[in-house]
Amino acid sequence: MFEDDTGAHTAAEASGEPRAVQNPESVTESGLGTADSAIEPNGSEAPSAARAIAVALAGWLLPGLGHALLKMWGRAMALFLTVGFLVYLGAGMRGNVFEPGGEDAFARLGYVADAGAGSFYFVARALEVQGSDVSHADGDYGTRFLATAGVLNLLAALHAYEAARGRKA
Amino acid sequence: MVPLHFSHFQSLLLFALIISLAFGTLGRRKPIERVKYAAWSFAMFVLVGIALGWLMYPFSK
Repeated sequence: MFEDDTGAHTAAEASGEPRAVQNPESVTESGLGTADSAIEPNGSEAPSAARAIAVALAGWLLPGLGHALLKMWGRAMALFLTVGFLVYLGAGMRGNVFEPGGEDAFARLGYVADAGAGSFYFVARALEVQGSDVSHADGDYGTRFLATAGVLNLLAALHAYEAARGRKA
Repeated sequence: MVPLHFSHFQSLLLFALIISLAFGTLGRRKPIERVKYAAWSFAMFVLVGIALGWLMYPFSK
């Protein structure tokens, strides 16, 4: 679904860093490279998995932060605004913000979806001071808005991870 | 915060608009492709939503 803003698909390309040329000193005895990165057969340095995970976690915690760390500014702003707007509308429509330890599978799945919004999950709970009201259509839609915000953010975090790993995502 | 009230159709339009804009912005590289994809997504969200609503209508009585 996602394509890159600038056509650069790797974190190194996005940050303007040149592709690494194999440095004999950076190769360990096992031939697997340094602790941070592996040297690929063609001599280029593979993006760090740890960094990609950190980027994904950042993107999950604050929508758009993962892409911002990769200097994908347009997407970062779009994600922040989209997830934020969905959370604001969902809470304003008094949608159900699921809590951990739900009674049934739907409540637990709902919590997973809501928690996908990261820190915005707590924003939704803070905004919804009157509690949820799903007895009306807008309350029911609000629940979907909140879940969509979380799922969209999880998808974006996955995309940030793939982009940070240098894969076309 | 002030509670927001929308009808089914207004909620459908709002949801379709936000998600279509996000898909368009995130999913395509060129501006014209973004606009086309967002418009296509929006149309599909609304049309499929209305079609499903009519399909479920007989069971609402």
